[in-house]
Amino acid sequence: MAFVEINGLVKRYGALSIFEGFDLKMEATDRLVLIGPSGCGKSTLLRCMMGLEDIAGGQISLGGKEYIEGAEAGKMRIDAKIQKDVGMVFQHYTLFPHLSVLGNLCLAPTRSRGMKKAIARDKAMELLQRFGLADRADFYPSQLSGGQKQRVAIARALMLDPKLMLFDEVTSALDPELVNEVENTMQDLANAGMPMMIVTHDMHFARNIATKVVFQERGKVIEAAAPDELFGNPQQERTRDFLRNVLHING
Amino acid sequence: MNYEFNWFYVQKSLPDLFDGLLVTLQLTLWANAIGLVFGFLVALGMMSKIKLITWPLTIYIEFFRCTPALIQLVWFFFCVPIIFNVWWSGYFMGILALGLNLAAFNAEAYRAAIQAIPHSHSDASVALGLNAFQRIIHVILPQALILALPVLITNGIGIFQQSALVALISVEDLMYQGRYISTQTFRPIETLTTVALIYFAVSFPVSQAVSYIERRTKRLLAN
Amino acid sequence: MELDFSFLLSYSGVLLQGLSTTLQFVGLAALLGLIWGFVLSLGRTSENHVIYWASTLYVEFFRGTPVLVQLFWVFFCLPLFLGIDLSGFASAVIALSLYSGAIISESFRAALKSIESSQFDACTALGLPRGVQTIFVVLPQAVLRAIPNLLSNVVSLFKESALVSAVGMADLMYVGQNIANNVARPIEILTVVALIYFAIGFPLTRAVSVVEARLLKVVKA
Repeated sequence: MAFVEINGLVKRYGALSIFEGFDLKMEATDRLVLIGPSGCGKSTLLRCMMGLEDIAGGQISLGGKEYIEGAEAGKMRIDAKIQKDVGMVFQHYTLFPHLSVLGNLCLAPTRSRGMKKAIARDKAMELLQRFGLADRADFYPSQLSGGQKQRVAIARALMLDPKLMLFDEVTSALDPELVNEVENTMQDLANAGMPMMIVTHDMHFARNIATKVVFQERGKVIEAAAPDELFGNPQQERTRDFLRNVLHING
Repeated sequence: MNYEFNWFYVQKSLPDLFDGLLVTLQLTLWANAIGLVFGFLVALGMMSKIKLITWPLTIYIEFFRCTPALIQLVWFFFCVPIIFNVWWSGYFMGILALGLNLAAFNAEAYRAAIQAIPHSHSDASVALGLNAFQRIIHVILPQALILALPVLITNGIGIFQQSALVALISVEDLMYQGRYISTQTFRPIETLTTVALIYFAVSFPVSQAVSYIERRTKRLLAN
Repeated sequence: MELDFSFLLSYSGVLLQGLSTTLQFVGLAALLGLIWGFVLSLGRTSENHVIYWASTLYVEFFRGTPVLVQLFWVFFCLPLFLGIDLSGFASAVIALSLYSGAIISESFRAALKSIESSQFDACTALGLPRGVQTIFVVLPQAVLRAIPNLLSNVVSLFKESALVSAVGMADLMYVGQNIANNVARPIEILTVVALIYFAIGFPLTRAVSVVEARLLKVVKA
C-alpha cells in the first residue's frame, strides 16, 4: 500500500460536483505537486485530506491506515489520531493575530499535545533559528512581511512533527520578491526528506521541488509523471494546452 | 410576585395614548425632515477645503454627537427664548433640538457614504467627460444616498425613541401621556408596559426593514 | 442680555459631585452591562432555539424602546412587580445595565461573527480541540475586535445616563437643572453642564476611532 492513498473520493458543494470517484497515490519519498487550471479542485483536494471538508464518499489513508471515510449527509468519519500526522499551510497564512510568533508556534503543542511550555519554547526557537526567524520570535503577525508570516506558518505546522505536509498555494498571496524565501524554506524541508503535497501556480518551482507532478482538470487526473517528463514531454493534448498557456504567460 | 393586574384604566385611556403617539410621530417626522436635508448640506459643507466652513460644522457635529440629547433639549427649551427673545412652544423646540441632533448624526452617515464610493468612479467620470457638478449629481449623490440609507433610517428610528425626552419639557407625547395616566390611575405597570409595547411595535418593524434594505443595497452596489 | 459666569464658581463643588454621581452610574452600568452583554451574545449565537429567541427578543425590545420608558418602568414598576424595595440608585443602575447589556451584546455578536473561517481551518489543521479553540483563539480575537464598539457603547451609555435626572437622581444633569432653576440663569449653567458632558464625551468618541485604527492593524494579520 502506498504512503498516501485516495480512493474513490466524492466531493460535492450542493449541486456542484468537484470529485466523482477521484484516485491518487503517493509514496513516502515523493513530493507531489498538483497543477491545473483554477477551480479544478486542487485546493479542495488538500482540504479534504486535512479533514476540513465533508466528503460524500471515498477513503483517504496515510501510512497504510485509513483515516477519513466519506459518507452521505455529512456523516463523514475522521480518525483524529492519524489526522494529527498531517500538517497544512494555507494561502493566507492564517496566523493567530493576537499571539506572538512564539505564541503561534507553542499554542497547539502545549494546549492539545500536553507538551511542557519550556520544551515547546526550545523546540520553537530551534525551528525559528533554522528558518532565520529567531529575532522575530516576540513579534506579532501584523509586524511581519508576508514571506515571514508564511515561514512562521510553516514552522507552526512543523511543531507538531507531521508525517505529511500540505501546502495550499502558499506563495500566491505574496509579493513576487518574497516568493523566494518561502520556496527556499520549502526546498530545505524537501531536502530533509519531508513528504509533501503542494498546490502551486509557479511552474518553475514545481519542476524544481517535485518528484512527481500531477496535472488535474475538472476533478480528474489527466496526467501524472516525473517533472522532467511532464514538463519536457507531456503526453496529453490538454496538458500541452495548459502548459503552453501558463508558460507563455509566465514568460 | 403577587401583583394583581388591572387593565381597565389602560383600556379607558387608550385614546389619550393614541393622541400621544400622534404627537410622537409628528415630532419624529419633522425631526427627520430637518435631519435628512440639513444633514446632507452639512456633509457637503464638510467636504469643503475652506477651514472657515469646516471648522464651525465640525464643532456643531461633535457637540451634538458628544453630549446627551437631554441637555440639548433642555438647553433649547430654556435658553433659546432668552437669547433670541422669542417664545416658541415646547413642541417646536423639541422638533428643533431633535432635528439638529439628528442632522449631526446624519451628516456623518452621508460623509462616510461619500468616502466609501470607490475613487475609480471619479476617475471614470473624468474619463467619460463629466464635469464636477454632473459627477456629484449623477455619480456621487445617488450612490451616497443608497449607501447611507440603512444608517439614515436607523438614526431616524433612534430619534423616534429619543423623542420621548420631550415629555420632560411637558410636550404631550406618548411618553408624557403614559406618565400622566400611570400617576393618575396608580397603575404604572399596565400603563408603562403598554407604552413600551407601542414604541416597540413602531420601531421593531423599521429596524427589521433596515437589515433587509442593507442586504439589498449591498447586492445592488456589489457590481 | 448679559452673561455672567462668575457665580458658577460657588457651585463648582455641587457640579463636581453631580459629575461624580454620573460617572458612578456609568461605571457600574458599564461593568454590569459588559457581563450581561457577553452572556446575551452567547445566547444569540446559541443553537438552542429557546435560548436564541429569548435573548433575541430581549435585545430587540431594549433596543426598540426609549431608554426613558425603560428607566421609568424599572423605577416605578419593578419594585411593585417583585414586591421588594429598591433604592432609586439601584433602580437607575439596573435600568441602565439592562439597556447597556442589550447594545453591548450586539458588539460582541458582531465580533464573534467577524472571525474568518480560515482561523477555524487553521485550528483544525493544528488539531486544536474545541475548548482550546474557543478560549485561546476565538475569545481573545472577539474581545479585541469588539473593543472599539464597546467603547462607543460606553459613550452612548454616558449620554443616556443623563436620563436618571428624570427620576430624581442627583447626577450632573439634575444638579445643573436645579441650579438653573434656583438662580434663574439657565444659559450660563446649562451651557457649562453641556460643556462638561462634551469634555468627557468628545475624547471618548475620538478614542474610539484611534483604538479602532490601531486594533485593525493588529487583527488584520
